Amino acid sequence: MDIFSLISPLFVALIVSGTFVGIIFGAIPGMTATMAVAVCLPLTYSLGLENGLALLLGLYVGGISGGTVPAVLLGIPGTPSSIATCFDAYPMAQRGEGEKALRISIIASLVGGLFSLIALYFFAPALADFAIRFSYVEKFLIIFFALTVMAALSSNMLLGIFSGFLGIFISLIGVYDVTDGGNGHYRLIPPGTEYWLDSGFSLLPVLIALFGLAAILEEAEKGMPRAKTASEIKVGAQSRFSFSVLKGQGRNLFQSSAIGTFIGILPGVGGSAASILSYTAAKTTSKHPEEYGKGSAEGIIATEAGNNALTGGALVPLLSLGIPGDSTTALLIGAFALQGVQVGPLFIGNNPETWNAMIVAMIIANVAMFIMMYFAIRWFAMVVTVPKYILYPVILMMCVIGAYTINYGIMFDVWTLLIFGIFGWLAIKIRLEIAPFIIGFILGPSAEIYFVKSLESFGDLTIFFTKSWIAVVLWVLIVASVVGSILMARRSKAMAEKI
Amino acid sequence: MGELTRVQIDFATSHLVFPTLIGAILLLLGLAILIVERAAILGSATMWRRTFAEMDKLRFLGALALTVVYFLLMVPIGEIWPNTGLGFLLCSIPFVALAAILFMHERTWRKMVPVLVVALVGPLLVWWLLSDIFFLTLP
Repeated sequence: MDIFSLISPLFVALIVSGTFVGIIFGAIPGMTATMAVAVCLPLTYSLGLENGLALLLGLYVGGISGGTVPAVLLGIPGTPSSIATCFDAYPMAQRGEGEKALRISIIASLVGGLFSLIALYFFAPALADFAIRFSYVEKFLIIFFALTVMAALSSNMLLGIFSGFLGIFISLIGVYDVTDGGNGHYRLIPPGTEYWLDSGFSLLPVLIALFGLAAILEEAEKGMPRAKTASEIKVGAQSRFSFSVLKGQGRNLFQSSAIGTFIGILPGVGGSAASILSYTAAKTTSKHPEEYGKGSAEGIIATEAGNNALTGGALVPLLSLGIPGDSTTALLIGAFALQGVQVGPLFIGNNPETWNAMIVAMIIANVAMFIMMYFAIRWFAMVVTVPKYILYPVILMMCVIGAYTINYGIMFDVWTLLIFGIFGWLAIKIRLEIAPFIIGFILGPSAEIYFVKSLESFGDLTIFFTKSWIAVVLWVLIVASVVGSILMARRSKAMAEKI
Repeated sequence: MGELTRVQIDFATSHLVFPTLIGAILLLLGLAILIVERAAILGSATMWRRTFAEMDKLRFLGALALTVVYFLLMVPIGEIWPNTGLGFLLCSIPFVALAAILFMHERTWRKMVPVLVVALVGPLLVWWLLSDIFFLTLP
């Protein structure tokens, strides 16, 4: 099909405006790419699938890239994926080379983003073709694998696993849907609440609450920290940026992009891991590791290529298996659901136009991000000075609209926003992991169907181990992910004790 | 062994199979957390005391209270002018203004003017965009 037929003026305008708004969201500390997607999700309702995705993918790419601005200028990661950017970019900005650090970040972001797109383009269809062969047993195991990977990579594995299962448990509230082969009976519903909880808690109000309202409550608890004034931030131009800084950085760019893409493919791991792992790998293989942490261009390149490479990588499991790669792509599931489209192994084959539109949108979003940020970086830098007391009430209002309009106007969804907003704030306090919770919440209903149908069909628990060689491989991967993470946790604990 | 692993699922009770299993796993994980994290759990009272002591109570509790009032009023006000989205608009303007004033540190008139402009223009723009352009239902 003619890929250029997709590029209508509206399509491009939505990507560009999405990228622009995403950069602004990412650039404001405390606001994330996920929040940008959550808040703008209701706008896609009347846009149609391709145009809606164009807006959301622009927000995604812009949001991840915008996070670099406060990381460079304030030493505060705008999004979790910019954590490692602070290590070198902030010292560079402190030397008055903020503009140079930002330009290095932008170029590395573009390379990382485009690299991951190539991986997405070739890898997602291949994985989807393979996944078509999965029966209920393998589908259940792949969800189980996704949950173990992300729980195992949580900062506290036990709490991560608990959070994932809690998400599954809450997702089961409501009726066991007849359309999915269930018996139509209610479960986990207090008497008298059937009217509201018939279909359980809606996904999107829950997502908007956890990534929007909870973040605002957390900021309110801290007393809404003041934004920096224009005179306090150092964009500076003492040392002009020159492309020569990228000389000899090919290996670093490739390595970091590959790590970021791989981390993106792992379900639920997220941008902070991509950023830190890319940074660590670059430092380990660098000729000048002693310069890291003191304003090294290499360090900035590694983290920014790594975290932007996450964007395409995270779409691989989403589009091939129906499993979100990170919290932002979890929101994209909501966008697909709004349009009545189910993502999974059949998605690419059944929706070639949407698939192509997504690839084109990602390319345009990356290029738009580069052009906007490279040439207008001084203006975007000023975004960090916008007071939060103006922004947050508007964001809160947008969260309300998002929750209300998602199911054609149900006020219970707005109350869901409040319930899960408070839950999200409490979860942060008691160290529950939000990402495993969300993935559990999204995948719980599918896991139930695959599990129960497997047992109804075969009547034996051993089927989960003996169904096929794919099942055996998945069990090996499940055990390897758990054992590997236990070993990693022990090693880091031992290292911490040595220090 | 074959008998031990055999499972018969009764269709009438199939809706309880998975929730029971997940509930049991949650219980086991909860017990494991109680054992492994006992020190943190025992110290949680102190953690909560410190959280509440250090919390900006005015902004945090004020934001919660404002949000609840905002949600409570939206539908009754909207029902006065059904299907117009005016419940959303008329509640959002004071909500945005009051929340912004609540979150603000130094409340001077110079800072208040942009807040009031945003509180008026923001909801109006969103209301017009969603109801007139995107035809979305608002309260």
